[in-house]
Amino acid sequence: MMPLSFETVIGLEVHVQLATESKLFCSCPTAYIGSEPNTNVCPACLGLPGSLPSLNRRALELGVKAALALNCSINCMTKFHRKNYFYPDLPKAFQVSQYDVPLAVSGSMPIFLEGKVKNINITRLHLEEDAGKLIHETADGRLSGAAFSLVDYNRAGVPLAEIVSEPELSSPEEAREYVLMIRRLVRYLEVSDGDMESGSLRVDANISQKCSDGRWGSRVEIKNVNSLRAMERALEYETIRQRGLLLKGEEIVQETRHWDDNSGVTRSSRGKEEAHDYRYFPEPDLPQIAVERTLVENVRESLPEPPWKKREKFAREWRLSPADSASLSENLDVAVFLENVAASGADRQMAANWVKTDILRVLNETGLAVGDLQVGPEGLASLLAHVEKGSLSNTAAKDVLDIMLKKGIAVDDAMKEAGVKAGGVSRESLLGVVAKVLGENAAETALLFSGEDTSGKKRKFLQGLIMREIRGQAAPEDVSAMIDRVLDEMKG
Amino acid sequence: MLFHEMEASSIASGIREGEFTAKDVVVDCLARMRALEPVLNALITPLSENALAKAVGIDAAVSSGKDPGSLCGVPVVIKDNMCARGVRTTCGSRILGDWKPPYDATVVDLLEKAGAVVIGKSNMDEFAMGSSTEHSAFGPTSNPRDTDRVPGGSSGGSAASVAAGYAPIALGSDTGGSIRQPAAFCGIHGLKPTYGLVSRWGLVAFASSLDQIGPFARSVSDIALVMDTIARYDPRDSTCRPGDRPGYRESIKAPTVRGKRVGIVREFQGGSLDPDLGRSIENTASMLASSGAEIVDVSLPESAAYGLPCYYIIAPAEASSNLARFDGVRYGLREDAADLITQFIRTRSKGFGEEVQRRILTGTFALSSGYYDAYYLLALKVRRRICVEFADAFEAADVILMPATPSLPFRKGELIDDPISMYMSDVFTLPVNLAGLPGMTVSTGMNDSGLPLSVQLVAPRWEDSRLLEFAAVIEAWAGRPGVASGGVL
Ligand SMILES: [Zn+2]
Repeated sequence: MMPLSFETVIGLEVHVQLATESKLFCSCPTAYIGSEPNTNVCPACLGLPGSLPSLNRRALELGVKAALALNCSINCMTKFHRKNYFYPDLPKAFQVSQYDVPLAVSGSMPIFLEGKVKNINITRLHLEEDAGKLIHETADGRLSGAAFSLVDYNRAGVPLAEIVSEPELSSPEEAREYVLMIRRLVRYLEVSDGDMESGSLRVDANISQKCSDGRWGSRVEIKNVNSLRAMERALEYETIRQRGLLLKGEEIVQETRHWDDNSGVTRSSRGKEEAHDYRYFPEPDLPQIAVERTLVENVRESLPEPPWKKREKFAREWRLSPADSASLSENLDVAVFLENVAASGADRQMAANWVKTDILRVLNETGLAVGDLQVGPEGLASLLAHVEKGSLSNTAAKDVLDIMLKKGIAVDDAMKEAGVKAGGVSRESLLGVVAKVLGENAAETALLFSGEDTSGKKRKFLQGLIMREIRGQAAPEDVSAMIDRVLDEMKG
Repeated sequence: MLFHEMEASSIASGIREGEFTAKDVVVDCLARMRALEPVLNALITPLSENALAKAVGIDAAVSSGKDPGSLCGVPVVIKDNMCARGVRTTCGSRILGDWKPPYDATVVDLLEKAGAVVIGKSNMDEFAMGSSTEHSAFGPTSNPRDTDRVPGGSSGGSAASVAAGYAPIALGSDTGGSIRQPAAFCGIHGLKPTYGLVSRWGLVAFASSLDQIGPFARSVSDIALVMDTIARYDPRDSTCRPGDRPGYRESIKAPTVRGKRVGIVREFQGGSLDPDLGRSIENTASMLASSGAEIVDVSLPESAAYGLPCYYIIAPAEASSNLARFDGVRYGLREDAADLITQFIRTRSKGFGEEVQRRILTGTFALSSGYYDAYYLLALKVRRRICVEFADAFEAADVILMPATPSLPFRKGELIDDPISMYMSDVFTLPVNLAGLPGMTVSTGMNDSGLPLSVQLVAPRWEDSRLLEFAAVIEAWAGRPGVASGGVL
């Protein structure tokens, strides 16, 4: 008998908090993190009797932006539905969401894994409002055993875009790459900060197993995965659990399971909560929303190239390594910076090397964004022009870049400051070479040091060695002055 | 002076011109209210002190040369499902407890900005579900024309207040007839504007796609005066139509029906219609014909056959969702329990009355998976056909003339245990809500037993001023309704 084999089938629902100033259906600020509880609220987002929603068009625009970037078709007439259920964090006891006519449908997005590209189809993107936050007064912050619970409605009504994938992901690693690509995209588009830790990007995962004997296990939804790592672990756990059951000939129960990050297991959350019939029906307080063609076209024109396009371009057209293509397309500003360096005349590979090592290093060290740097892409390109011509050594160029970054001055001024002419070495590099040559030629140096080299022959000899070392890229008087400085330092 | 018998427009102009003060008016109306309230129970929350203070403020403004507005010093009554900042708002229910909204409904704000003085919040069927104002947690209201009878509902308290002379004008809300039916029962005028003409911001929702706020008054010109004040675009209500409204008082300056076509609905004549009300339609039609209008036959078979069931699916469905927020977590009544679900169940079982619970259950059922298509979706389709049917009728007629109610005011307790008969009370009014049209009850006097007669006028969407024009012609013929005795001689 053939041993059984399995295929994992995963679909993801990614909730992205949209980066609007105000909430989806009122004008309260969305900044709920760090705000005093229940201060960013009004009758509408508290769902007070008599209050009504009015749509924040900005949220609609951001939704359209994400949808277009995901190659979705936009529904020109979209509508909101009410999703009814009771929970204390839901002030109206229904969530205004979308149902049969979501903002956008039928998109796709590529992911990259182990050198391969896989296209993942996007079922839909819809808008909905976030709920408030429950705070349970127990040691571990969990509901069971809580003496009482508190509700903060600052988050209630914050706009979310839910992006639903087709069940086409076949491993936890693919799921991870998918989420990372969504995160990269929303950051590219500035529709969300995509921060999983703070909850502005949340994932629910659906996972099932297809068995080689033809059985197809029921779908299980996993909730409460609050990090990429948690998602991967939860999916790995579920894969093993479900395969185990199928191997034993048991059925998989179609259910929602909660990931327990501490114990590393998923737990069934069947019970009262589970038996939901959401009774979706069209939200009568919001007429159908016309998504005007002009809005769509304006948004389309404002779209940056998506991260996967940048990555493919770097790899295919620029012939960068897969790793470099990935790291240089991670952030839109960095990628555009790099493109502009190349557009200003620098060699692509060289530009990529410099951005990857020097620029990214500075960004990592300082925590700055690329736009905050004192050196623009043209500045870096003009520096690289010197390197390319061979008129500036790599080492010298790095010193010059440091000065440019620190002082925000042009390459020529920075070179002066560094004591290098076009075709020269920096003072620092020169100092190093001088000290090295003097050290290696102790006898001649000693004569200079004691003032016995009256004819200056030994000085000329040493100077010649130094000149050879720096390939003549400094003026003789500079070299001579540097020799004096080193000798002075020896005298103490 | 009997201020409580005066029109709002005369009160406002008298105060503005210094003939009398707002305080005089308010004191008189409050005295009227205090005398009749023990019998009528038209108000849930009288606001005597607030009203007096407001009146004094208005008098001060007038004497310092300011014009407080077109409703200067006019007492008004507001149905208790509209929010007024800091004033208890109950919706006739126990479930809201002592909840005081932190904000004003747009209509309340507009009335007050025009100088109106809110003297009380009126009794109503709980959450506007009912046709008799007997389904109130605060006791039933009596009809001031005959205190053994109901005032109609759900805005029975507002209608009774105007009929009894507490105030010349009041606001009600109309989801399936809740302005027009009590106006008919109390012998006054009542207008349900076109859906989307008046902002619903601050109106506690019953059925969002049907609810509309409108005025009661004892004169057509007062109805127009209120409409000029409250019919405004409000961005806080997404269903409120943007743009300017016509001048409603302007439309009744020289009212004429000459050359207009008046449609009589074939299906709504005869049958179980009260003969006196049938005659009222006939007499009104004859008068209009002799005033130069053309009487035409129109047919509304779908509205007649399916209006009621369609309404009793859509309205409860929306209500089941709108009323879900009353869970005891944030405001109002809370019945504590060891767990959340039990707390919800206890709070809602104790807080909601029987009729409200019946409709929540009906609506929940209609939206449930497996039943949605057969009930809710089907009702939406029927609703669309009713809209089309009215649109067709308005190809043939400029205005439709039909009864407001099938019967004269019934006795208290008569239908309380018979919900279906109670629902039938709105059979002529609710198709108008389903189609989003403006509808108006116009008082046409009293029958031989002193019970009020009326007709209902219906116009195409946004043609509210056409209704007022017709109503003005009918009023000129039938006479303006007077103040009822309220059972006190
Ligand atoms: Zn708000």
